[in-house]
Amino acid sequence: MPDRPAAPELIEAVSEFLSGELLPTIDDHRLRFRTLVAMNALGIALRELEAGEGGMGEDELRELARRIRAGDVDEGLHARLKEHVAEKLRVSNPAYLEKYE
Amino acid sequence: MNGPAPWAGELEARLGRRVEAMHLLPGGASKEAWAIETDEGDLLVRRALGGVIHEATLSLEHEFEVLQAAEEAGVRVPHPVAYLGELAGREAFAMEFVEGETIGRRIVRDPPAGLDTQLADELAKIHAIAPERLPFLRASDIVTRFEHELDSVGDPHPALEYGLWWLREHRPDPLADVVAHGDFRLGNVVVSEHGLVCILDWEFAHLSDPREDVAWPLVRAWRFGVDDRRLGGVGEVGPYLERYEELTGRSISEQELYWWEVLGNVKWGVGCLTQCRRHLTGLDRSVEYAVLGRMAAEMEYELLDLIEHA
Repeated sequence: MPDRPAAPELIEAVSEFLSGELLPTIDDHRLRFRTLVAMNALGIALRELEAGEGGMGEDELRELARRIRAGDVDEGLHARLKEHVAEKLRVSNPAYLEKYE
Repeated sequence: MNGPAPWAGELEARLGRRVEAMHLLPGGASKEAWAIETDEGDLLVRRALGGVIHEATLSLEHEFEVLQAAEEAGVRVPHPVAYLGELAGREAFAMEFVEGETIGRRIVRDPPAGLDTQLADELAKIHAIAPERLPFLRASDIVTRFEHELDSVGDPHPALEYGLWWLREHRPDPLADVVAHGDFRLGNVVVSEHGLVCILDWEFAHLSDPREDVAWPLVRAWRFGVDDRRLGGVGEVGPYLERYEELTGRSISEQELYWWEVLGNVKWGVGCLTQCRRHLTGLDRSVEYAVLGRMAAEMEYELLDLIEHA
């Protein structure tokens, strides 16, 4: 087991540095935007670490994709895919998912 | 980056103008954009970058011709000044520099009155360009095209596959192909407080069913957070379609645009994944491209939601 800070704590430390110290000093619009994008990327990484492994694995996804391409689509598939994508969004952009609720 | 580029002398010779200042504008994945001050007014020079160009992208020579054809057809575009051939080994063209806002998030905050029907005005004029004027433009089976693009990504995306399956199962009767802009949406439109100034970014022009362009600005991602104004976050769809019909005679219902909106979400979802590959393969390392790989799920959810309600 590594010493603290653990990976999520390191990500938080970098996020806080970017938002608290770096961002207020940037006037350039483009650089500000890219810094916000970078903070967003760290947020995704943090949520992913906290969520842990779950859902369909790569082999399962590949098999499902292959079946759909071949036209093998059953009644429950739509709902199953919606839950699969919702799970991705809870990591990548939870605020986006809330718009649909 | 400021100061003259090594090809500034070549540029002066081709233009027959004196270059007084130049600077590279931020952004641009496959092309550079340079703001150039000359003794005869300000120009914008688009110049190719290295790397793999998207298969559906026009060369700058052809993009310049499309811009000329659009101007001839009365479309509001930056005046095309000159095709420059190669500047230090990479092709480029010059057009008029236009002032105004292009950032979608800022435009949707307080869109100028009439922008909805002005978008229809420009689209109607684009779709009236004679295809014979631009013989190099190509048509393709759009569903098959995105299947190939998704295959090129490599990783499995069953929700996008499902979108493609649904599109194949519900194909509408086609309308005759027209000259299409190919990326007609906020972000590629210059807007001032008085309304629409001009249409930019013609590199994806091709021949297609007109509804591909008509529906593209409706896609949720291009509403820039103002989801209840279905036309690009700036207006309702009704007046836009009415104006388009008035000018083109094509009666398109909001209902039939659903198919094209699902297609638009597949297109941008796959687009996010292919742009992310620019980062992952090392072609163009950038945190912006990297994050796009995780944004594709937004289009996946939207297309599943659209299909549920179609």
